[in-house]
Amino acid sequence: MKSWLDGWVARRGPTRPPLSLGYRQIFILPTRFGWLLGLLMFAMLMGSLNFNNNLGLLTTFIVAGLGANSMLLAYRNLEGLRILKTGAAPVFAGQPAQFLITIASDAGRDRPGLELRHGAASQVFNLPARGITEATLPVSTRHRGWLELDRLVLQTGHPIGLFEAWSWFWPERAILVWPRPAAHPPPLPEGQADREGSEQRRNPEGDEFYSLRAWREGDPLHRVAWKASQRHNTLLARDLRQPRSRDLVLDLAQAPGRDLEERISILTAWLLQASRQDRSWTLKLGGERIGPDRTQAHLHACLKALAEQ
Amino acid sequence: MKQLPPFSAVAWTIAAFVLAALPHLAAMPPWLAAGILGACAWRLAAARYRWRPPPAFLRIVLTGLALLFVLVAFGGLWGRRTATVLLCVMLGAKMMEMFTVRDLRLVASVCFFLIATQFLFSERLMYLVYLVSGSLVATIALTRIQSVHAGTAKVEGGSELPAVRQAAVLLLLAAPVALTLFVLFPRLAQPLWGLPDQVMDGRTGLSDDMSPGSISNLFLDDSPAFRVEFDGPPPSPGERYWRGPVLWNFDGTTWTRPFFGDAPSRQFVPEGPGTVSYQVQLEPHERRWLFVLDYPVRGPDQALITVDHQMLNRHPVTTLTRYDVVSNPEFTDMPELSSGARAVALRLPEDRNPRTLALAAELRQQHPDDRDLINAVLGWFREEEFHYTLSAAPLGRHGADEFLFDLRSGYCEYYASAFAILMRAAGIPTRVVTGYQGGFWQAASEYLLVRQSDAHAWTEVWLEDGGWTRVDPTGAVSPARIEQGSRSVIDGPRHLFDLNWVQNMRNQYDRIQHLWNRWVLGFDHERQRDFLRGLGLPELTTERIALLMLLVLGLVMGPLSYALLRQPRARAADEVDRAWQLMLRRLKRRGLTKQASETPLEFAMRVLQTRPQEGERVVELALMYCRIHYGDNKAGSRPFIDQARAFRPART
Repeated sequence: MKSWLDGWVARRGPTRPPLSLGYRQIFILPTRFGWLLGLLMFAMLMGSLNFNNNLGLLTTFIVAGLGANSMLLAYRNLEGLRILKTGAAPVFAGQPAQFLITIASDAGRDRPGLELRHGAASQVFNLPARGITEATLPVSTRHRGWLELDRLVLQTGHPIGLFEAWSWFWPERAILVWPRPAAHPPPLPEGQADREGSEQRRNPEGDEFYSLRAWREGDPLHRVAWKASQRHNTLLARDLRQPRSRDLVLDLAQAPGRDLEERISILTAWLLQASRQDRSWTLKLGGERIGPDRTQAHLHACLKALAEQ
Repeated sequence: MKQLPPFSAVAWTIAAFVLAALPHLAAMPPWLAAGILGACAWRLAAARYRWRPPPAFLRIVLTGLALLFVLVAFGGLWGRRTATVLLCVMLGAKMMEMFTVRDLRLVASVCFFLIATQFLFSERLMYLVYLVSGSLVATIALTRIQSVHAGTAKVEGGSELPAVRQAAVLLLLAAPVALTLFVLFPRLAQPLWGLPDQVMDGRTGLSDDMSPGSISNLFLDDSPAFRVEFDGPPPSPGERYWRGPVLWNFDGTTWTRPFFGDAPSRQFVPEGPGTVSYQVQLEPHERRWLFVLDYPVRGPDQALITVDHQMLNRHPVTTLTRYDVVSNPEFTDMPELSSGARAVALRLPEDRNPRTLALAAELRQQHPDDRDLINAVLGWFREEEFHYTLSAAPLGRHGADEFLFDLRSGYCEYYASAFAILMRAAGIPTRVVTGYQGGFWQAASEYLLVRQSDAHAWTEVWLEDGGWTRVDPTGAVSPARIEQGSRSVIDGPRHLFDLNWVQNMRNQYDRIQHLWNRWVLGFDHERQRDFLRGLGLPELTTERIALLMLLVLGLVMGPLSYALLRQPRARAADEVDRAWQLMLRRLKRRGLTKQASETPLEFAMRVLQTRPQEGERVVELALMYCRIHYGDNKAGSRPFIDQARAFRPART
């Protein structure tokens, strides 16, 4: 039933942003309160007709007029709205994704009482004349991978809640859900793969140039960067650091864990740990190698690859 | 528990309820009304100080008590009044649990129902104000509730003006639909089910019996009883006797209708040269009788003419009712009196009024002829010190004796009653007729306004040669009452506000009320058909009228929807922008459309590439526009406006 309905809606016109809401996308039905008032109106109509009571009839017809307008105004409140884009930043499985929907109105009037719904999550907002707004819906995630969202609803009961006008639309693209990082991962596999990094001097400061910094009391003189100090008119010292491992290799095949999900989860935790410690790593997924690198982009690429695994 | 609704929504809902219930509150026992208002006040305070609803058992007990009070107050009698009071009480009880959007909406929407039920009791013109203001406040309440429901309610203390304005606009927009439906919704020729019985309002009006004081009570009541439009000239004031209940039975104090009072007439009343035909617009009085001039020839279909020529409606008159009547005043009623009727018309309690009985016997001896006897009594009334006055003492066991020999002052029912007793004692069959006498002729609008204060009682005696003949003893005592109306019998004002100019204003107001009755309230099945015929439409069946209604509704809704849904063209903020938009529109007509993504200069450069002959001008104007807009060159706006307006791209 639902898929048939979705198909029917999709056949009527565009349903993915960017889209502009027209009569093909907007549906309208009375609310429960609308039915109640309708019933009341019917009772008033019958009573007034029977007693030939013209003022009673007039009251009834005023209610009828209110109903008719309320239908038009509910439709008008959605008509011409533009849903510009949708999307959410990737999150780890289990965390709620913040799904952003950008909605703009070109009309020269306010659009009060709009509500955006997806499942149980909803957000209400007003859109001023020629306004643009970004609504956020929390979406719960459970599994890693691409999360295809079900249809979203943009609805309004404006002005008095007798009718509800709504539009269904689907997001442009799915939400990327990263694997859930293991809560208590084993320590990083130091030098697990390539043995040549093992004969390092135990120098906490290392001997690789890292950056220049202001000279501090206690810095040995051979660390002073004389040329640079001359250029900057202040005493600068070379800061040396030693990455503990040149090549951290994180291999899915060799990660501990009972099953694939657990291994992926531990690997995710390692990735994050490595990134926090600002180390460079290579991710090995079967035959595929990503890296070595230590940038955020690299981290995201790795997480995406794990999510899609 | 969900969040409590904000004060403003609750306050508007309560305001809507109180306004809609106001006439109902005024008509119910005061302590009940006070209880309902108290519940409203409690709810307001609860909204103000964020109180929680009372526990369920307390709500149930209080509601049960309130219902019990209603039952006691109305004695278990079921009628419109009981029903509406019950509705008000239930809504008052609802105040205790009105804490969700759903409850608020329920109360606000039932307000419309409450307003409509009030019109079962009265449809006077002033209730139009009630209808409009009540609907407005209820709509405001609904608007506020919706904004609470949508969660977009402004913070507390925000201005209420937008909600008021929005509701007013909603109502204004509802008007075209409402009026179309009002005019074209097919009216029923017959009611679907029975009409309600009498309400227990104690509405003032003529009652179906007569005892001392029953008519003089009405003397202070200037509200209209009915209005009459005559097809010809109106009858002279002395002939304006509006026949109501005819009373035959007398128990010593009270005159009542006989057991055969509802029997249909077996006499055919023909039309004659003096026939009067007229239309009466009767205000609802909760009784069945329709007032007519003597002797009704025919009335509306649903009416019955009784054996004593009273006209009875099938149902109590609960709404403004219009009926056509033809009367023949020259008819002779019952040239032969049956022995049964004669017996009823002569019956008197024997142990009452000995002095009156003695006087009757004495008069009978002096005047063997009935007519002589009647004239003698009327002459006695005229010559002796009889007074026509409102301030009469209540009478005791021998009422007629006290009146005729001691008090000698009273209102019409005293005279009618004493005269009838005297006649019966003298052996002349007599009956008492109550109704209205006189009326105010609204010369400008050509209708006769009969007020409650025109209520009157007179007698009919049966004569061998004339059948039942009207004799009005009041006329002998106070001819002015008959000729000039009831107000003329009292010197000076009846009460503090009984001033002439007030009376004039009331008369003026009644003319508006008359139009209102005629065109709004009296717009029934027949009027609707007349109206459509007046528009040049052929005779339409109910189905056709319904179709016509849908058609016109479509015609009304079309422009309304267009006006509402039309996208107003984006109006430029100032003249500079308008000139620029004008220029863009002219270029668009030549096939050069500025994309939304293009800056003015980019667009101008594109124009330059495709149409070099105008491109330079466009670039120049675009530069000026940018300088005005983004620079501080406000002085350059005038030349830009002039030049941009003058710009005409050439045809290709």
